[in-house]
Amino acid sequence: MTKLPDHSTELGAEPAEATSLGWGSAIGGLLLLVLSIIFMAGGWRLGLGVPTRLGTGAFPFFAGGILAVLACAICIDERRGDGIADTPDWIAFLAISAALAVFALTADQVGLVPAAFLTVIIASLPDTSLSLLGKAILGVVVSVACWILFIELLNLPVKPFVRFW
Amino acid sequence: MDILASFGQGLLVVLEPQNLMYCFIGVFLGTFIGVLPGIGSMAAIAMILPLTFYLDPTPAIIMIAAVFYGAEYGGSTAAILMNVPGTPAASITAIEGHALAKKGRAGVALFSTATASFGGGVFGMIVIAFLSPSLAKLALSFGPADYFAVILLGLVAASAVSNGGALKGIAMVVTGLMLGTIGIDLTTGDLRFTMGIPELRDGVHIVIVAMGLFGVTELIASIRTNLKGKSDVEVDFDDLYPSKEEWKSLPAPILRGSAIGSFFGALPGTGQTIAAAIAYAVEKRVSPWRKRFGTGVVPGVAVPEAANNAATQTAFIPTLTLGVPGSPPMAIVIGALMIYGITPGPRLLTEQPDMFWGLVASFLVGNIMLLVLNVPLIGMWVRLLKIPYKYMYPTIIVLICMGVYSLNNNVFDIWLTLVIGAAGYIMRLFRFEPAPLLLGFVLGPIMEEQLRRTMLLSRGDPMVFLERPISATLIAITVGILIFGLYSTQRKRRQTRAAQQNSTGR
Repeated sequence: MTKLPDHSTELGAEPAEATSLGWGSAIGGLLLLVLSIIFMAGGWRLGLGVPTRLGTGAFPFFAGGILAVLACAICIDERRGDGIADTPDWIAFLAISAALAVFALTADQVGLVPAAFLTVIIASLPDTSLSLLGKAILGVVVSVACWILFIELLNLPVKPFVRFW
Repeated sequence: MDILASFGQGLLVVLEPQNLMYCFIGVFLGTFIGVLPGIGSMAAIAMILPLTFYLDPTPAIIMIAAVFYGAEYGGSTAAILMNVPGTPAASITAIEGHALAKKGRAGVALFSTATASFGGGVFGMIVIAFLSPSLAKLALSFGPADYFAVILLGLVAASAVSNGGALKGIAMVVTGLMLGTIGIDLTTGDLRFTMGIPELRDGVHIVIVAMGLFGVTELIASIRTNLKGKSDVEVDFDDLYPSKEEWKSLPAPILRGSAIGSFFGALPGTGQTIAAAIAYAVEKRVSPWRKRFGTGVVPGVAVPEAANNAATQTAFIPTLTLGVPGSPPMAIVIGALMIYGITPGPRLLTEQPDMFWGLVASFLVGNIMLLVLNVPLIGMWVRLLKIPYKYMYPTIIVLICMGVYSLNNNVFDIWLTLVIGAAGYIMRLFRFEPAPLLLGFVLGPIMEEQLRRTMLLSRGDPMVFLERPISATLIAITVGILIFGLYSTQRKRRQTRAAQQNSTGR
């Protein structure tokens, strides 16, 4: 079995104390500020209309405006904030994102069964408590179960396998 | 008398074999998913939702509701046995429940939970049956301005007292409102914020938002804890029934819990967790067992569970009579109804009486099913908890993918789920909660429509919101909640900072 790199054991590690980031904890507020500006600009372009007949852009524009005010308040508030809520678990974040991406990339190309198998393998990759063989068996079980449940029982119009060669 | 006759009619609806079957599938799958740690009732509903699109509206809504209260129920099983609450509300049940389990009396805790849940569920159902018709009648006199104000109140109430603080909660609601504008504007037919992507024309599907925020985000956030958690508690099934003394101690807390739960469940923005927490706090003061609270006592398990389940049922009151969901799972119920072209609101009772009363009656039937599923069959759920989480989470990811993919057979939806889930995780790190976002997302389009109507009727005068008595009252309450929320956030922060300074000795 291939030995996984050491940092992978961080999956399942004890969360450390939440750290204070100073101005860094205003990042969430800044992201929202950017979002609000996008929606305000978009709303403006779509047209605000007149009070009696509100235009397509009016609601997103005003919602964006309110969010901009809130985002600024959050940024100022966070300056002396209590830091981030939890130590980020980037390994889990990457594994799960990659698993979804793999499913999206393969579902149409190779069919449901191989896509589900690959998704299980990718998602469980950083988990050191399960051997590679265990992962493969889990992948087979899950993908066959999906085949039976979604295609045979629920008649979803998905192909279990696609010839891609 | 009218209510009894209507309820009987509803009972006939739910006893139709097809509806009965979907009610059972709902409570079964709900309990199943609720028992699994790390995914709560929100993810459960989101996963089941795509399956219900193949059904008629009545069995679909019965099944969605059954999944919801089944999951709330199942959450308490995981909480008692492993101290890993399957749902947030179950964390209150865990206080006494897990203490009982550690004393080797898990069976008693689970049995009390089942009894209390049933009591709470039936109590909540009776409240719905008697309260909804009059509330719907009242709501019929609502104009668009009043509706706008009700929605505003619901959104602010649901977000101003959230864990991350009032500012962040409301910011998430507004983000949800903006997300809800993506797609075709139904009034003008213009495309909004689709960025030229044809898949976004019909807007973002509610299943995608819910799966992203409550499936993907929660999964990433909970892997670390759940990979460590183990069910170390053995359940002794000979010791399933409480002692005589404990039996006698059950009815009063169940009634108190149900009453408190029914009240908070029906209020917009409070929901099961708050209901369970308040019921527990009250019981801790009034119960004859109060001195032993915290050591694992039967009334302490019964109270939050009764409150939780009663609130789970009464949450349907504002959802169905006003069309304003009090909690995120109810937002999904509204979203599901709208997919069927049914607008929840005061007219639902008169236009869809079979659906409304069938749903209410299904609460009784579903709660009986839960009792049967959970008292004789509790061993099955305990065994389910023994399955290690390392097998569980990859399976859940595949189920999320399949659920989303089945919406349109389009992988674009999976990419979108990934983006929303990843964004949700990053926002979560900065203490932004996903629940208010979903509420805003569902209610945004309704809110916009009511706003447009109001402005049209008032000839562009926004003062109309303060001139109509109903909307003026609602807006006054909203402002009150807003001020309270901001104030309590500041106070809480000062307290934590003071505590931190004390502990570091500086």
